Amino acid sequence: MFLALRELRHSRLRYGLIGAILALVAWLVFLLSGLANGLATDNGSAIQHLNADYVVFQSGARTLLHRSILPMQTVQAVKQVSGVQDAAPLGQFTITVQRVGSSEQIDATVLAIDPTSFLAPPIITGTGLDSANQNGVVLDRTAQRHGVKLGDTLKVMPAGQEMTVVGFTEGQTYSHLPVIYMDIPLWQSLRFAAPGSAGAITDPISAVAVKMDSAAAARVAADVPGVEVATKDSTLQNLPGYKEETGSVNMIQAFLFIIAAFIMAAFFYVLTLQKSNQFGVLKALGASTRFLARDLVGQVLLMTIVGVIVGALLSYAVAAIIPAAVPFALSTGLVVVYGGVLLLVALAGTLLSLFQIARVDALVAIGRVD
Amino acid sequence: MDKLLLENVSKVYGSGENAVTALDAVSLTVREGEFVAVVGPSGSGKTTLLALTGALLLPTSGTITLNGEDTKRLAPSALAKFRLEHIGFVLQSSNLVPYLTARDQLLLVAELAGKRDKAAHARATHLLDALGLSKRHHHYPEALSGGERQRVAIARALMNDPDVLLADEPTANLDSVRGREAVQMLAAQVRTSHKAAIMVTHDERMLDLCDRVVRIADGRLSDAPMTARH
Ligand SMILES: Nc1ncnc2c1ncn2[C@@H]1O[C@H](COP(=O)(O)OP(=O)(O)OP(=O)(O)O)[C@@H](O)[C@H]1O
Ligand SMILES: [Mg+2]
Repeated sequence: MFLALRELRHSRLRYGLIGAILALVAWLVFLLSGLANGLATDNGSAIQHLNADYVVFQSGARTLLHRSILPMQTVQAVKQVSGVQDAAPLGQFTITVQRVGSSEQIDATVLAIDPTSFLAPPIITGTGLDSANQNGVVLDRTAQRHGVKLGDTLKVMPAGQEMTVVGFTEGQTYSHLPVIYMDIPLWQSLRFAAPGSAGAITDPISAVAVKMDSAAAARVAADVPGVEVATKDSTLQNLPGYKEETGSVNMIQAFLFIIAAFIMAAFFYVLTLQKSNQFGVLKALGASTRFLARDLVGQVLLMTIVGVIVGALLSYAVAAIIPAAVPFALSTGLVVVYGGVLLLVALAGTLLSLFQIARVDALVAIGRVD
Repeated sequence: MDKLLLENVSKVYGSGENAVTALDAVSLTVREGEFVAVVGPSGSGKTTLLALTGALLLPTSGTITLNGEDTKRLAPSALAKFRLEHIGFVLQSSNLVPYLTARDQLLLVAELAGKRDKAAHARATHLLDALGLSKRHHHYPEALSGGERQRVAIARALMNDPDVLLADEPTANLDSVRGREAVQMLAAQVRTSHKAAIMVTHDERMLDLCDRVVRIADGRLSDAPMTARH
């Protein structure tokens, strides 16, 4: 790094500009990863954080909660299959609510659970659900953005059924909407308000959340009639819009990596070409290709590391000032991984330059070769 | 003692009909402390002679023995190391590394050899001072005059304490006063530190500073009668 450091110091403007571009690319990569992560979390964090391994749907529902209706007995049927640790009913419905005393309409996703089951969400303020208080509900804290407070009464639009906010949970969104947790009977009264909408099923639920391993899952699929079984992860992937949203951001990100590789390759190749004569002189003095290559790689690594760190700092600065409503979640794990990928990409970009260095003949030093 | 020995060295570029014989069975001996000038018309093979002597090129036939070592025996990968240890090049003035200070130009050679220690720093200081650059240690090439640059190049060539010094038209970019100064420095270093040196030049006014002048024409050497110096 004898040469690299001195060159960086001497050509501050040139390498400052390249470093700035690197930092900007890293910044963009991190912002996009924050956005992809944020969108994914916003869309399905309730599923992500569901305390279960598998979800059992009505067969033909294609793992979509809103299409699936099962009788409550399915929970018992699933529990009886050997290898199943536990199973609990789950209901889902999308509703619009209004705070009493406010005209703002709030869209929300209802997730109905048995208050005593393992699906009960973690409570950050207030209390959890209680079967004794049928109209008590627990909301995701993003509902607080709409002014909802503990103890508020919410009216379900348009019919006007009332419920009371008894607690708040966090990390529980579904289809980009805050989740309202409630007891199964209240949910049934909303979801199946229209007579006959549950068909012949008397005690309907949407699906069954199950704790089990894959062997038990196969037995459930085979032994319980009329169901299909999906892992929590594939349920998440199948959420409406989930793949499309994360897929498009991921594609942009992949292109960004490719572009970063080309930018690095082009910059350093042009610089290396410019310095060909110099490399010839150094070789005539006795520098080996290995010495020069190590120097270049060191230079690129140093610049990329600084660029990535600056980009990461900028991203965290953005994360700190971005409005809460924007789905943006920077994960340090991802920043480290993508920073590493950028480093590899930058190194790949220097390959061309390394070939050029290897090709330079010491003879150029005495004007023997052009 | 003979530091440098060229015996029947030939160099043929290309092959078949395009073959160019740049050097034709050249023999030359340079002793320790001897400063030899090579003069000759353009295309006569001067640069080729230097490139062969400096292990930048390998001869088509003949042997080059440097400090007792036959360069033909060296693997291509060992040539860089050989140059680093045994040869000092003084190239044209543009051949300093633009982003290194005068002092760092010298320390680079130590770095290449993996010996950038206290002794190397002391040697760099000593060489720069000896070449009249004591106030220029921390100047970049862009801030040095042509003559100063050439003196830095001479100091750099001496940094690895080489057996042989090779200079290809070291005065090409200098006016006659500066050029003469640079060659005087070179000659002084050759004598005080017992190097063998070959300088290719077009400039007949420098020849009196050399111990011996060799003329080259069409790839063949002929000793010229001694010029002024005694
Ligand atoms: N790579 C090459 N391929 C073919 N012929 C070459 C090559 N390099 C040199 N020659 C030929 O070899 C001969 C000697 O070249 P050389 O460069 O050694 O001459 P020179 O004495 O240094 O000339 P000048 O004073 O112009 O620098 C010339 O005729 C040249 O055309
Ligand atoms: Mg020449």
